Amino acid sequence: MDNPFQKPHVLMLRYGLLSILAFIVVFPLVWLALASVRPQNEIFQPVSDFGWNTFIPSRFTLDNYRTLLNGDFPLAVKNSTFVALTTVLFGVVVNALAGFAFAVFDFRGKNLLFLLVIVSFMMPFEAIVLPLYVMIRAFGWANSYQALIVPEIANGMVIFLFRQFFASIPRDFYEAARVDGASWFYIFARIAMPLSWPTIATSGLMLFLAQWDSFFWPVVAASDSAYAVVQVAIARNINFEQNDWGGLFASTNLAILLGTIPFLLIQRFYVRTLISGGIK
Amino acid sequence: MISSRWTPFLFLAPALAGLLIFRLTPILVAVGGSLSGVSLMGELRYVGLENFEYLADDPEFWESLRTTLYFNLLINPIQLAVAFALALLVFRPLPGVWFYRTLLVLPMAVSTGISAVLFGLFLDGNLGPMNGFLEWIGIGAQPFHRSHDQALYTLIGIATWKGAGYWMLFLLAGLYSIPSTVYEAATIDGANGWQRFRYVTLPLMRKPMAFVLVADTAINFLFFAPVYILTSGGPSGSTSVLMFQAYRAAFTFSDIGRSLAISTVLLGIIAIIVVLEFRFMRSPEEAK
Repeated sequence: MDNPFQKPHVLMLRYGLLSILAFIVVFPLVWLALASVRPQNEIFQPVSDFGWNTFIPSRFTLDNYRTLLNGDFPLAVKNSTFVALTTVLFGVVVNALAGFAFAVFDFRGKNLLFLLVIVSFMMPFEAIVLPLYVMIRAFGWANSYQALIVPEIANGMVIFLFRQFFASIPRDFYEAARVDGASWFYIFARIAMPLSWPTIATSGLMLFLAQWDSFFWPVVAASDSAYAVVQVAIARNINFEQNDWGGLFASTNLAILLGTIPFLLIQRFYVRTLISGGIK
Repeated sequence: MISSRWTPFLFLAPALAGLLIFRLTPILVAVGGSLSGVSLMGELRYVGLENFEYLADDPEFWESLRTTLYFNLLINPIQLAVAFALALLVFRPLPGVWFYRTLLVLPMAVSTGISAVLFGLFLDGNLGPMNGFLEWIGIGAQPFHRSHDQALYTLIGIATWKGAGYWMLFLLAGLYSIPSTVYEAATIDGANGWQRFRYVTLPLMRKPMAFVLVADTAINFLFFAPVYILTSGGPSGSTSVLMFQAYRAAFTFSDIGRSLAISTVLLGIIAIIVVLEFRFMRSPEEAK
């Protein structure tokens, strides 16, 4: 059959282009990983010295990581982990409940409320960071874990994903359980949620990435170093002239691994949910 | 249809409370706050459109608006084009294509702030390999985000590195939703590869492409982290986008009224974008 995508030169071209693009994406990450395990005195790279030595450390060392243990970085990792996990935990439950209601029940004002959900995810969070900061300060929440977590729990996109999933389960299924005398909450917790684990995985990752990616909000709402999350702690270090460049390399590399490893584990579900028409 | 009077609202309450308090109320606070100012005595008072009048008379605001518009005029078409090219490259079956697809979406998981730091190091003349490479191939070292002429383009490059894979996923979803029978029909009618792309793929991809363009624009009008981390709006104002101006008004000059006035201008722009988005998006009822 005349399929232009199977011709050998087209195949070669596709592999070639894909390899170049993948190289552009991955190369800075690999460079950083290698730079983070080289001795401090090798970190400065005179421009004129370009060659293998620019990339390959003369000797492998974890010194840069060891010095991190004594600084602010472990606290930032702890803050980030706590904030992200709490958001994921509450976010999945709260948004799944709402998605379930939109999928299963009929009630007054349903369309209007669903419109609120849609609009809330089309308006990027950054748009309201400054007025939200004014509110949080009035609540007395500035520099606290609440400030970082609570505003990020309700998420229109996640409500939408759960609604799509719960609406795809035949309604007879819920009704049969109802006839057997099950409460709505039982149906939600014991029947609907266990069926929806791919959506739970996707939403969990989405909430995690939202926290992980947010920068403007934590800089504004929790700038105190006691509550600094990883991306804020690291960004602060590049702004100052400093002598521990090795530490900055190591902490940045760790921050990248902390995001990409969970992502690689779950991306299969995530990509599938996005592609299968969850969101278009 | 199943109905019970109060149950639905019990299920909805926590999420809706969150959306009302933390998404909707701030919009009202922005508009309300932009109409007020703090007097010398520290009291909040209504000042009408004063904050906006100041903005209108302030050349720095107009310069920043121009920078923001120019930035968006460049970055959004570039990201759409790159994302579409990536989607086309990974769409058709190919041994190992999943591996490439995974690598291409990987920057999604690198936080925006962290990717700014990564490139701050990578492009640095002493710490990173980029300038050494450019010298080696004879182009010569470049100042990148440290120069007035290159800063904005460097930020566009970093944001595209970070964002293209994410937008690719939406376009990939669009490509998968084109029925293969349409291509078969076109092949039977004698269309070659280019004609199938031009007369089948492109017209059927108009909607997902419009969606990506509009959604990406909403995000890029609020571009902040790389500016804050790498350039602080400089050199000499060349990257001082509106969101950074709003931040500086609040935190450097303690002028909340001005900050919220700029936020309100941005919310107005976002509102226009959301309306456009509604026109391009299928209604939620059709989506499944």
